[in-house]
Amino acid sequence: MADTMGHSATATRNTRLVVGFCLLAIAPQIFEFIWSIGTIFGWGAGRGPVAVVTSHVTALLAGAPSAIFGSFGGGTKKVSSDVLLALIYSYPLFVVAILTLFMTIRSAQDYVGGVVLMALALFALWAGSDLQGMRGFSFGAGTAPRMFGGLLVALSAGIALTGLLTDGPPMAHYSWRGPLFVVAAILFFALSIRSLGLVVTAYASFMIAAAGSHETRWLEAAIVGACLTLGCAILFPSVLGLPMPMYPRFLIQ
Amino acid sequence: MDIFANLAHGFAVAFSPINLLMCLIGALVGTLVGVLPGIGTIATVAMLLPITFGLPPVGALIMLAGIYYGAQYGGSTTSILVNIPGEATSVVTAIDGHQMAKQGRAGPALAIAAIGSFFAGCVATVLIAILGAPLTKLALAFGPAEYFSLMVLGLIFAVVLAKGSVLKAIAMIVLGLLLSMVGSDIETGASRMAFNIPELADGLGFATVAMGVFGFAEIIRNLDHGAEMNRDLVQQKITGLMPTRKDLVDSTPPILRGTVLGSILGILPGGGAVIASFAAYTLEKKLAKNPSRFGRGAIEGVAGPESANNAAAQTSFIPLLTLGIPPNAVMALMVGAMTIHGIVPGPQVMQKQPDLVWGMIASMWIGNLMLIIINLPLVGIWVRLLRVPYRLMFPSIVIFCAIGIYSVNNAPVDVILAGVFGLVGYWLIKHDFEPAPLLLGMVLGPLMEENLRRALLISRGDWSVFVTRPLSAVLLAVAVSLLVLTVLPALRAKRDEVFTESEN
Amino acid sequence: MTFLRALTGACAAALASLGTFVAPAEAQTYPTRSITMIVPFAAGGPTDVVARIVTSHMAQTLRQSIIIENVVGAGGTTATTRAARATNDGYTLITGHMGTHAASVPLYPKLAYHPEKDFEPIALLAGTPILILARKDFPPKDLKEFVTYVKANAEKVNAAHAGIGSVSHVSCELLHSILDVKPVGVPFNGTGPAMNALVAGQDDYMCDQIVNAVPQINAGTIKAYAIATPERNPSLPNVPTTAEAGLLKFQAQAWNAIFAPKGTSPAIVASLNAAAVKALDDETVRKRLLELGSVIPGPAERTPEALAALVRSEIAKWTPVLKPAT
Repeated sequence: MADTMGHSATATRNTRLVVGFCLLAIAPQIFEFIWSIGTIFGWGAGRGPVAVVTSHVTALLAGAPSAIFGSFGGGTKKVSSDVLLALIYSYPLFVVAILTLFMTIRSAQDYVGGVVLMALALFALWAGSDLQGMRGFSFGAGTAPRMFGGLLVALSAGIALTGLLTDGPPMAHYSWRGPLFVVAAILFFALSIRSLGLVVTAYASFMIAAAGSHETRWLEAAIVGACLTLGCAILFPSVLGLPMPMYPRFLIQ
Repeated sequence: MDIFANLAHGFAVAFSPINLLMCLIGALVGTLVGVLPGIGTIATVAMLLPITFGLPPVGALIMLAGIYYGAQYGGSTTSILVNIPGEATSVVTAIDGHQMAKQGRAGPALAIAAIGSFFAGCVATVLIAILGAPLTKLALAFGPAEYFSLMVLGLIFAVVLAKGSVLKAIAMIVLGLLLSMVGSDIETGASRMAFNIPELADGLGFATVAMGVFGFAEIIRNLDHGAEMNRDLVQQKITGLMPTRKDLVDSTPPILRGTVLGSILGILPGGGAVIASFAAYTLEKKLAKNPSRFGRGAIEGVAGPESANNAAAQTSFIPLLTLGIPPNAVMALMVGAMTIHGIVPGPQVMQKQPDLVWGMIASMWIGNLMLIIINLPLVGIWVRLLRVPYRLMFPSIVIFCAIGIYSVNNAPVDVILAGVFGLVGYWLIKHDFEPAPLLLGMVLGPLMEENLRRALLISRGDWSVFVTRPLSAVLLAVAVSLLVLTVLPALRAKRDEVFTESEN
Repeated sequence: MTFLRALTGACAAALASLGTFVAPAEAQTYPTRSITMIVPFAAGGPTDVVARIVTSHMAQTLRQSIIIENVVGAGGTTATTRAARATNDGYTLITGHMGTHAASVPLYPKLAYHPEKDFEPIALLAGTPILILARKDFPPKDLKEFVTYVKANAEKVNAAHAGIGSVSHVSCELLHSILDVKPVGVPFNGTGPAMNALVAGQDDYMCDQIVNAVPQINAGTIKAYAIATPERNPSLPNVPTTAEAGLLKFQAQAWNAIFAPKGTSPAIVASLNAAAVKALDDETVRKRLLELGSVIPGPAERTPEALAALVRSEIAKWTPVLKPAT
């Protein structure tokens, strides 16, 4: 009885993991798509969203297999970076995702840790794939990144294996509130320090970060934030002489 | 003898009111810079360099030197209190120092760090005065092959300092090495894994990654549900401010050993001071009767590395004073300061500028004395800071870190990257990966790769240079034996570990 | 990203205008507020030192402070990109050098600016001679022997340099292209480590700026074969010029010059040039520059037109040398 329940629990857990890994496998593509939406409004440079989607979909579905067959045919045609991304990054992760379906995971913490680390290593291998390798006795730019990328793939596979072979802790619990508001405060700081100046930015970031804890008492935070901002405004530009704007630009001009 | 006459002359110079004042200002600014997370010594010295142009050259250099070693004192404070290492050298201090703070022993940790630094600083200053010239030969004996072997040894230290799984520690080092490769390739200038982001062209900054995986990640983790209990416990638990007699007895040998290690490694240009602190930690862990205490608040893990990094900070002046060659970025700025004052540093600077050289050496001793006088009473204030409720503490740390990272290059992208690394660090904690080996890999990675490639270029691709050059061979042999010593017990202990580790 | 960059340029102006009300930037009253001088290298480096010496005097002439902002990264091109995009009101200037305003063109194919098209030349400040240096026990005794030795042993010798795009790298590439050899270049992270390796005898030779080399040569830890300028330098009277020693074609100087963003009004350019020229005639400024081993440009070389010509000729000089190297 207990046995069957435990089994079905792992099964649902596994399918969720498989879906997660598949998403991870196309995460760079999704990221580029989201990034490309900005080009519609004229922010940043790069391909438009339509070009991104078609290029990646063809690369994932058709480009990669044809590249494999092409190399068998002795073709030395240069493979596009989208196809390489599919070949080096997405395909191996899809394979891992499929394999996960048939595995009994004894330590999810190690297994997932290993797989995500492997994804990072594969991504680094792809990012370094355009670099030159060995030239005679001298290392090329790409030799060391490929060496360490390969080593990390092997190590992370080892960690994932530990997760399959030995018992260990399950996945830890992630909370959302802390990370969300702390990262939001950091982002706000980065985006507005140049235009809004130290005083406004530091205070606003303080309040955003404070929202990350349910213990925060707002009046208290508002007062401490104001004191802290005042302190920073005196300490950093005046005492340490750091060159940073103090007040919003529109107020000065 | 000559040395005494020179030292007496140096003290006469250093004790002039203006130079004493400069020394004090340097020590104070250094402490402040060290304490504030993110703001590095290099950035501050660069920022304050123009101010010193109006000062007499000796005073200016005394002040800049004070900032440099003062920051080594201050750097341990944030490592211990909030687990944010501001400098590469204080990463190790964070490991056991912060654990001590969590056990309510922040006071002794801070005090022992200051005492260790003071002792190491005094010894290293004497060393510079007496043995400066002969020790220069050591710096010159280190070629690319020797540096590569030293870096390999350094990375093995990183494995040893891991408290959990060795496999995971190695994976973290390799991840650090990979991260260090972002940016321009030294030999060809090719942009590596930088995705055409101009801010990445020179690679990821140490401060950016360290603030992320240590600072922001720690904050995010502390905001988790259930973490409040532990925090409140810490705040009630704070016991004595000063180290007990037992603490002092326990710390004395590590301070002595750390001083020796740091003094020697500090002379080596580039990376010497970082390796010194890691080496000291590894040594203490290997010599300890019960190595499992390390990583869980062992005072030896604070005393050794802190002494080592301060000793190294002092002896790193040797190549500058005897050869005129700056061994690291801060020293390069000091060379700039000298040039602007019309002093061109070189092998003859000791004969030509006795005021400057001996005045600076004497001022280092005075500066160390000032620093301990400043720092010991501050321990009480720092510890009281821990009583500030965390709900107010964490947004403040976020702001300080953000300003600190921004100030390094005036680049908002750095702040965003630190945020990203904060999330990465949170994930690493959740999967029981340790961030310290990652940072060490990142700091040593470029040095290792560059020197490997340099050595192979000079030897025309002959890998045997690493074993045929005696110094390099010795370093590699130490590295291999250390690795064997670490991995063997780890393999043997595997079965028991699985069950004990699962509680965390 | 572009959004951020637009803000970047304006930020310096915002900082500078703090405390004073912004008046229209008219040439008659220029400058009405402090000027920002971007230096594309770290404080204390050779370019920074030259910039500080000259601008401190220029500030007296212009009766406004000149704030030096050190922006480092990517061989100085990060800062130069920022200066190229700054408002062309004469309140943001840059002290460029041989690397940022000439050698960068062939070295960085994706360079975001062009030294000629994006800048108004103001004035040449100083030239730093380049020396051919070698470890003290390197067999050749003079430049002639050096040339024969390197040609005969091109497979064996190692040339140290301070990193891709550094003065020591590009000038040795020029030397190698003249000698028609391709020895192994050993890259270091900056001049300090490269000099350290040469003093320790780990590499055979190096081409580097006079500032770093003089004390080492005087102490006998390294030796110098020749100086790549038309005349001998007062700080090293015993080192022959390349012309004297029989290698006339090898002429190289690391020069520093002030530039403003393209479109800066001619009146502002003229007043800045006048201030720079006045600084170069000042006794203290000259003395300090000479101490550094710098060569101060003569009257004919100080005009904006002369600087424009220099930039053009330097780009032409470095492009063929550096194109195949990268």
